[in-house]
Amino acid sequence: MNTATDAPVLSVTGLKTWFHTRDGIAKSVDGVDLEVQPGKVLGVVGESGCGKSVTALSIMRLIPPPGRIENGQVLFKGEDLLSLSPTEMAKLRGEHISMIFQDPGSSLNPVVTAGNQIAEMYEIHRQTAARANQDKAIEMLEKVGIPDPGQRASAYPHELSGGMAQRVMIAMALACEPQLLIADEPTTALDVTIQSQILELIRELQEQTRTAVILITHDLGVVAQMADRIAVMYAGEVVEESDVTNLFDEPRHPYTRQLLKSIPVLGANQDDLAVIPGRVPSLVDLPGGCRFAARCEARTEVGLAACTESRPPLEAVGTGHKARCWMYLDNPP
Amino acid sequence: MMSLKGAAESLSEDIDEQWLQAKPMSLWKTTLRRLLRRKTGIVGLILIGFMMVMAIGAPVFAPYDPENVLIGKEKVRKREAPCIHLLGCPSERPQHLMGIDGNFRDQLSRVIYGARVSLSIGFTTVLFAFLGGTILGAIAAYWGGWLDNLIMRIMDVILGFPSLLLAIAIVAVLGPGIRNALFAISIVTLPAYARVMRASVLSIKEMDYVAASQALGASRLRILMSRIVPNALTPIVVLSTLGIASAILDAAGLSFLGLGAQPPTAEWGTMLGAERNQVFSAPHLVFFPGLAIMLTVLGFNLLGDGLRDALDPRLND
Repeated sequence: MNTATDAPVLSVTGLKTWFHTRDGIAKSVDGVDLEVQPGKVLGVVGESGCGKSVTALSIMRLIPPPGRIENGQVLFKGEDLLSLSPTEMAKLRGEHISMIFQDPGSSLNPVVTAGNQIAEMYEIHRQTAARANQDKAIEMLEKVGIPDPGQRASAYPHELSGGMAQRVMIAMALACEPQLLIADEPTTALDVTIQSQILELIRELQEQTRTAVILITHDLGVVAQMADRIAVMYAGEVVEESDVTNLFDEPRHPYTRQLLKSIPVLGANQDDLAVIPGRVPSLVDLPGGCRFAARCEARTEVGLAACTESRPPLEAVGTGHKARCWMYLDNPP
Repeated sequence: MMSLKGAAESLSEDIDEQWLQAKPMSLWKTTLRRLLRRKTGIVGLILIGFMMVMAIGAPVFAPYDPENVLIGKEKVRKREAPCIHLLGCPSERPQHLMGIDGNFRDQLSRVIYGARVSLSIGFTTVLFAFLGGTILGAIAAYWGGWLDNLIMRIMDVILGFPSLLLAIAIVAVLGPGIRNALFAISIVTLPAYARVMRASVLSIKEMDYVAASQALGASRLRILMSRIVPNALTPIVVLSTLGIASAILDAAGLSFLGLGAQPPTAEWGTMLGAERNQVFSAPHLVFFPGLAIMLTVLGFNLLGDGLRDALDPRLND
């Protein structure tokens, strides 16, 4: 099961998604590189507005106007998704690439029963008989751990709790056994006990079917529990990428370090939580140098001139560990 | 102590069992239940139900053929006042509960048969306007852009005319008659439906479940038909119920002006129009058709109000 050498299911290179707003161009995603291997979970972390969700929607090609994918490549099993026609792309969605959203309560169609919504997935992608679809839907409900699936299949979304609704969403997303699942903050709207159940469920199903997962979250605890690899995003770019243990043991990028420092520790008696000073730069008016420079503690200590002048590249800083910081480069300009 | 715990456990099992076996309720079933909890809704339903029974069972309830001229068949006078045996009308004279009209016909039978015409006009015009408005509004909102602009500007132009005047103009071009009146009223009322549908689709379009089904591979047409339209229907259903009332009124208005149903068809508006000069000498000939129109319109208005309340989750438990 060692899959380090497997060809990635998805590899994103140089993805740029810009929003052409009245105030200027908001570079929500500005040169993102990502890779997911089959059967692996990639956690994408970062604060609100750092471009996590826009990256996900770009992969799905569901960017609403005025957003536009400007540049880059999204290779899914060797095929560039950005060059597919809209119909070809629509065929791929749900069948090969699925997505689950943040708020399960509003992600289900309120006028259709849970069972029928799952059955519809087979109707769209498999064109099988309605009767068989119903049976498979109930099977799927059982798989995602819904008690008494036969009965619950006829429930409408408003009759389901948040956790149940998210299970139904997962059942829909995984109905056609996609090779890639994008989960955009799947547990943010749920309470803590349900959160871990849902994560457990995703992990379990993902291991069974060897589906690759991109898990988007702002919760470092969630990625620590779930992910194999982690990409940390800041202001539209990936600033650090590594496997989980490495990232938590030895964070390299100053942003990751400061981020980890600001997590409250349960039981520890802290008077003050560490705070990252300053604010995220405006995506319309990004600084010329490193985007984190203005808030960076390391910069003030090391005092590199390059930080405020040119944008650092994402370079290897260890085995399977990359960071976007001038500190680790031998000859900064 | 133990028995108490045992009892609590068995009780919780019972509750669980009941919860699992409870049949989920659909939106429309819930709505009907809420509707029946409101007095306005019930009164509306009773009035409409009564009118519908009259319309369907007209041959059974009507004592005479509505177009049968009774001259020479019975001893009746033109525009004779109602003769009700219970209220002291001599029993040797034939009973006419609502009197006789200007053409020696039984007014009661004509009012009963009139329900058929009025209700079918109400339903068919609203059906056409509903279908047309829903389709146009949904297309305009879903596809947007120039198509939206084109459709909605045409709707604005139609709305720019006083509705009855436009209906009169259409009938004047097409010629009087019940079918043309029906068509004219559909055209005149359609923009309201298109507008409501458009507004409703515009908000539903932004819902998470639309994005979610897009992400799961549903086609645009499927999203429109199975996600957006069913969820956007609520306000337009309410509008339709109220719309039936105004369609009946408009049709009665056109018929009153001689542009709708043509004599000898028994239609409330036509009956009013034919006898309007006799309002002081034979008030029963305008009173009863007028009352029938009023009750039917009131029924649909009450039902519409009740339905709106029943469909609004904020006003319910």
